[in-house]
Amino acid sequence: MNSTVVTYLSQSNEFSAVVKWLTTHLGFDATSLVTFVIFAVASLIVVGALATIGGLGTYAERKISADLQMRQGPNRVGPYGILQFLADGVKMILKEDIIPANADKFTFILAPFLCMVGVFATLAVVPFSSGFMLADLNVGIFYLVGMASLVGVGVFLGGYASNSKWSMLGGMRGASQIISYEIPGTITIVSIVLLAGGLSLKTLISGQGGLPQEWYLFHNPFAFIGFFVYFISALAETNRAPFDLPEAESELVSGYHTEYSGMRFGLFALAEYIEVFVVCGVAVALFLGGYKVPFDLGTGQILVDKLGMDGMIAKNIGQVLELGSFFTKTFALYYVVIWVRWTLPRLRVDQLMTLCWKYLTPIALFNLLGCAVWMYAFDGKSIYSIIFNSAAAVAGNH
Amino acid sequence: MINLGSYLAISFALFVCGILVMIARKNIIAMLLGIELILNASALNFAAYTKFTNNNLDGHIVSLFIIVIAAAEAAVGLGIVIRFFQLRESIHIDDAATLQN
Amino acid sequence: MFTNTLFLLSALVTLGGAVAVVYSQNLMHACIYLLASLFGVAGLYACIGADFLAATQLVVYAGGVVILMLFAIMLTGGTGNNINRYGLEKVAAMGNKKTYFFAGITAVIFSLVILKILANVLKAQPASVLAANEPTVERLGTILATDHILAFEISSILLLGALIGAAVISRPRKERHD
Repeated sequence: MNSTVVTYLSQSNEFSAVVKWLTTHLGFDATSLVTFVIFAVASLIVVGALATIGGLGTYAERKISADLQMRQGPNRVGPYGILQFLADGVKMILKEDIIPANADKFTFILAPFLCMVGVFATLAVVPFSSGFMLADLNVGIFYLVGMASLVGVGVFLGGYASNSKWSMLGGMRGASQIISYEIPGTITIVSIVLLAGGLSLKTLISGQGGLPQEWYLFHNPFAFIGFFVYFISALAETNRAPFDLPEAESELVSGYHTEYSGMRFGLFALAEYIEVFVVCGVAVALFLGGYKVPFDLGTGQILVDKLGMDGMIAKNIGQVLELGSFFTKTFALYYVVIWVRWTLPRLRVDQLMTLCWKYLTPIALFNLLGCAVWMYAFDGKSIYSIIFNSAAAVAGNH
Repeated sequence: MINLGSYLAISFALFVCGILVMIARKNIIAMLLGIELILNASALNFAAYTKFTNNNLDGHIVSLFIIVIAAAEAAVGLGIVIRFFQLRESIHIDDAATLQN
Repeated sequence: MFTNTLFLLSALVTLGGAVAVVYSQNLMHACIYLLASLFGVAGLYACIGADFLAATQLVVYAGGVVILMLFAIMLTGGTGNNINRYGLEKVAAMGNKKTYFFAGITAVIFSLVILKILANVLKAQPASVLAANEPTVERLGTILATDHILAFEISSILLLGALIGAAVISRPRKERHD
């Protein structure tokens, strides 16, 4: 199996000890059994952790918006109101589940689950650290783009099935927005794939380093522009403000989930917050160095050499550092997403489409061409190394 | 279990379903659904033959082009359907029987 | 073991979706079943190590074709059977017993022809050991840009033509003033 959680854990002594113990007691080779159990547990951990992050996302949204508007925000449930999302979840589960009489029942029930499946399936390839990834597919980023487009189908069906004008308009806007902004986003991803030379997220990250000048963000000017193109498209694909036209409350009540109540609405909201996390994680992996930490701390080699630590312990410390690096960058981007939402006003529909087709798509195509030319002209070197090398040459190559 | 025969059987079933949809339906969009099924059946065949004969990826290329053609066909076909609907206010295939007006 | 389970699931989803497309009387539902069937085909690709094809299938069909179909269904009046402007007698848009009967006969004829062709393959079970699945992206890219470069370029022209053609065809025309 191609999963990096298992390959990481199988380096340790305990893994082989457990396998040996089970093999002697069960009477067959237990390697695949242990692999399966580890894989299942890791998947459960990822799904649970990300659901919690999605829940905390709603809390963060309210707290940060309150902060930006000089209010208090939720502060009653738990310390600093941090348990507010649990209270919201309980409220949603206990609410009555209403299905409109004239709704298309099958589609109505299916739509939130399509959104959920689309988002949770992308989690399989999100690189949390070099040892903690559920699956290192060699078409990773492509798979992620394909699975994320299921969300568009879910949004559209949610709007259509409700049999309500507002939902219909919201769903239509949502679907057209998602498939339009997929184009600049995907082209930008392709330009980074060009720099890295592989579709697997591990390959994409391994071309970068821990320090900012080694990131693809500062690799060349085109990648720098590309980051902003990708970030804007990601905002639009996740229906976040200033592109939250599908759920524009001043014109469409609540958009495609107007008719949804209770936990079905909750699933839509949860899918949205987790998708924001996923696209921020992808932006970090593509442009901001992913899980890389500076100075070989990630593999733990430096700890073994300098401090004489045990290999596995040093590796574990490296993994924790890598997790910290990835989550710090991702949450910083998450903060930016929320910050943007509470700062900028909403666009009009025609402005939205103009921005996508007249500005972002040509810029993304230009970036793709620019990255290709850069790779050909400068042999794939980053702008930092070119400047550094020429400066060293001027200084006499000491 | 995974052998050429099972893949050919699956693609055969997909193809027959596509033919059924295409002939039984009188709605143009529903007929396009049937065409998608047929195109998928053929693409699956190419990929399966590549794997189970000599494994030199030429079949994958043909499958890729089939997917490309399916996308182009869907775009143009649905454009024609929408234009036809603007003209006739119907997407019934029998309404497309006249050459003029 | 794992691959076999994946294969069985994908085959089930594919065939179930295809059969549901045939029997569903609601166009919207038929479209969703088609999506399920296409996902099953992606799984089948994954089973024989065609990783890039599987991902392409997901991207093109889930993200493009199915949403396009849903849009077209919605823009052309949803799932209802349209009434005929000319008063001629028409069969229902989603088919009736007569059309299903003729479709069944056609399908049986096609099946017989295809089964005659397939009979040799289905009878002969080659027990050869299959090559292990390996990443195909790099090899695909290489042969796409060398051996199949002409087809690649032609498909790009085809896509450009489709893009412009679709935009031109479905563009709303100005009302004639007469």
